[in-house]
Amino acid sequence: MALASPPRSTSSRGLGMDTFSPLKTTPAAHRTGGLDVTLSVNGRDHHLTLDPRVTLLDALREHLGLTGSKKGCDQGQCGACTVHVDGERHLACLTLAASAEGKSITTIEGLAPEEGSLHPMQQAFMDHDAFQCGYCTPGQIMSAVACIREGHARTDDDIREYMSGNLCRCAAYPNIVAAIKQARDQMEGARG
Amino acid sequence: MNAPSRIDGGMIGRSVPRIDGRLKVTGAACYPSDVGVEDAAHAFLVTSTIARGRIKQFHLEDAQAVEGVLDILTYENTRGKVGKARFFAGGGYTSTTIMPMDSPKIWHDGQIVAMVVAETFEAAREAAHKVRVDYDVREAVAGFGDTRPQPRQMSNPLSGSDPKTGDAEKAFREAEVQVDAYYATPTQHHNPIELFTTTCVWSGDTLTVYEPSQFVHGLKNGLAQQLNMSADKIRVVSPFVGGAFGSKAALTPRTAFVALAAKRLNRPVKLVSTRAQAFTVSTYRAETEHHVKLGADRSGRLTSLSHEGWEVSSRPDNYKVAGTETTSLLYACPNIYTKVNIVHADRGTPGFMRSPAEVPYVYALECAMDELAVALTMDPVELRRINDTQVNPIDGKPYSSRALMQCYDRAAEAFGWSKRNPLPGSMTDGDWLIGWGCATACYPSNVAPAEARVTVAPNGTVRVQTAGHDIGTGAYTAIALTAADLLGVPLEQVSVELGDSTLPPAPVAGGSNATASICNAVAQACEDIRDRLAQAASHADGPLGGADHGAMRLRDGRLVTPDGRSEPLKDALTRIDFGPMESYVKYTPEIASGTVKVMGHKMLESGLPAMTSGSAAGDHIQYAFGAEFLEVRIHRRTREIRVPRIVGAFAAGRIISPTTARSQLLGGMIWGIGSALHEATDIDRRAARYLNDDLAEYLIPVNADIRDVDVIFVPEEDYQVNALGIKGLGELGNVGTAAAVSNAVFHATGRRIRDLPIRIEDLL
Repeated sequence: MALASPPRSTSSRGLGMDTFSPLKTTPAAHRTGGLDVTLSVNGRDHHLTLDPRVTLLDALREHLGLTGSKKGCDQGQCGACTVHVDGERHLACLTLAASAEGKSITTIEGLAPEEGSLHPMQQAFMDHDAFQCGYCTPGQIMSAVACIREGHARTDDDIREYMSGNLCRCAAYPNIVAAIKQARDQMEGARG
Repeated sequence: MNAPSRIDGGMIGRSVPRIDGRLKVTGAACYPSDVGVEDAAHAFLVTSTIARGRIKQFHLEDAQAVEGVLDILTYENTRGKVGKARFFAGGGYTSTTIMPMDSPKIWHDGQIVAMVVAETFEAAREAAHKVRVDYDVREAVAGFGDTRPQPRQMSNPLSGSDPKTGDAEKAFREAEVQVDAYYATPTQHHNPIELFTTTCVWSGDTLTVYEPSQFVHGLKNGLAQQLNMSADKIRVVSPFVGGAFGSKAALTPRTAFVALAAKRLNRPVKLVSTRAQAFTVSTYRAETEHHVKLGADRSGRLTSLSHEGWEVSSRPDNYKVAGTETTSLLYACPNIYTKVNIVHADRGTPGFMRSPAEVPYVYALECAMDELAVALTMDPVELRRINDTQVNPIDGKPYSSRALMQCYDRAAEAFGWSKRNPLPGSMTDGDWLIGWGCATACYPSNVAPAEARVTVAPNGTVRVQTAGHDIGTGAYTAIALTAADLLGVPLEQVSVELGDSTLPPAPVAGGSNATASICNAVAQACEDIRDRLAQAASHADGPLGGADHGAMRLRDGRLVTPDGRSEPLKDALTRIDFGPMESYVKYTPEIASGTVKVMGHKMLESGLPAMTSGSAAGDHIQYAFGAEFLEVRIHRRTREIRVPRIVGAFAAGRIISPTTARSQLLGGMIWGIGSALHEATDIDRRAARYLNDDLAEYLIPVNADIRDVDVIFVPEEDYQVNALGIKGLGELGNVGTAAAVSNAVFHATGRRIRDLPIRIEDLL
């Protein structure tokens, strides 16, 4: 007898995603409809009742309707789901929603300083055509903002290295580097 | 209707930011799996763990016991429910003739064997993992060189005969200089970052499908055939596509099962397949082998060219890309022989992947050309110049335009090629060996029938509707620029609607035909509107009364005559009607002939491929060209391979949207680097199963792999290709790149690696 295929995926990498995670065998929580979780997303609190296995990515996309964060691999390999948790970049697909309780989550929808405006990074991505299909773009932008905050955008080589966790299959990489440099100068100018 | 060629309203050719950019940088762009569907159940696929055999028995009890599981589809309850639809590559709809879940038969690894539907994604996933399947396993053939009995081989089942002229074998034997080499390219997977997703929503007997698609009309009509229902009852919605590269062109098996599940449950069902499943539920680029023989005289003139290719396909399907059509017409040569063979294996059916035919075949020829240049001690650019041709050497038909050598000269100059020391291993920088290489890029300028509706509102805003697709290509922007140019309105006044099968049908976003096909349709519709406005203005009392309507143009929001009279567009519109003014155009390519010319729009409306290839454009052939130069640096000790810079010069007719065209070429060249150095799907040959089915193990270029990429546009006017003079370029940039890398590696090391990708271990 052979097992059908899902287990062959490399889910060993998928910390929170592992189907054999003990969390999934919390039947009580499951049967009663799950865990009560309060998520603070883009400055607003959301009260959710979730299966404990729900990732932050699926909580955002499937439960809060915030679909800007994308699912490209669901195993921490592509970066399309990158969000900020307490200001740092995190892969939402490798983060259990419940573990993000009490933390401040920012997604692409909440990046701009105010409704209708653009963050300098968003503007820079448009100015430099730093995307094509646009699917990896929210993750690229969230990662890029954090990359500058981390001090990892001082040189072109640094940008390339510290942005290499965000795959762009359309391969807009040179334009992404150009966009990050433009936004870096603006962000640092604003800070200084 | 006259084709509005050579009109210059100042918008076509202008570099503007992508008009859909704001939606993409704010996360507001709605990809099909982003659509919020009330009360959707979640599906999860179960795929086979064997490549060949039969399902003996399912054990579903554990899966069914998972709380929240609603339904499990297997062949036992779906058999006969999904009808056959014709194979896309054979002029139909589907990516494969293999019909999973129609019988217990397993044709390939990763074939869909069951679909679990549950209240939540988590429950569906858990239950899918608990589906157990007993198989009767048979020995599987993985691909080339398998020692087990091969399935029967076939030659040339799909398209015309192998191009040939003269006596290539005799000329090769008699040639003063010879190159005789074998090359190989690996299995590759598109791996768009957006997964293969499908959401189906029934409302009575009508079905809405949210699925990323390069061909919504194909998907709609093919699915209708499979589900035995009227195509009018299906709507496919795909306004944004998160990368496709060929993988979302044809109808794949998953869609019908999601529709079935939704029907059975009487509620919407959403499927998001996994990254690993993305390697087997759609198509892939099959591995290829090539035998290239070149003969030349001492001056470098080719006297013989022969190119035999082998491609892997699935057991039932005769899919092949047959790039010899292109390699046989690239250079002047009196004696040419080509042949393409299909080797069947226990694999899924391959399919189009960005520049399907050209990527593997031009790679082989362009490496061989470099080997010939070395054998002749001749500069490889000069070898291309000596053998440049303005006609197809097989039948003498002229190229509508061919600026290959202009591309070489522009790129060589920008690159600094004249400073190259041709001696292999002669250029170094500290511990780095430096190699410079170049190669030709080319792609046929294909065009297809397309339909579009253009509506001008009384306030001058313009709405363009066509069921084309923006898969990252910049279609929204190119179409808007075309309408703004021809109607003389600001770009901000134009809105473009794409990716919905309720819109006027447009061709598959494949074969690099979309910009040419759709922009010509849109231009004709705009021209029709201009002409009607101008006629009315010339016949009426008013500032333009009596003026020649044919000479009037729409500029800056006004209808203007050559002698300087004008009136506001709004006044001109009011004269025609009080409501919006509309034009619906069915564009048939100028180069269409035969069935496409007569039946093209019927085919398009039925979702059938109706493209006319640039290699079959009637009395001529039409191709876009480019030349790519790049530097590799190979570390003397570690053999690490880097590509610090690449320059490509391209002549692709009129560039509608330079911003997005540049990005296409830039991305294409990076794809080429990936093809040369990174990408390969590894196969466990014992089991005919893919090994590296995720984005950590299937290597694609990351930001740190890429440095300077320079795109040069070589101006080219060619109004023979189509009225607007457009040659598609989405698949041009990654043709030849892998050969340029390989040639540069030889220049750096003196070692000729003829098997892609070139990795550190090849250079130890």
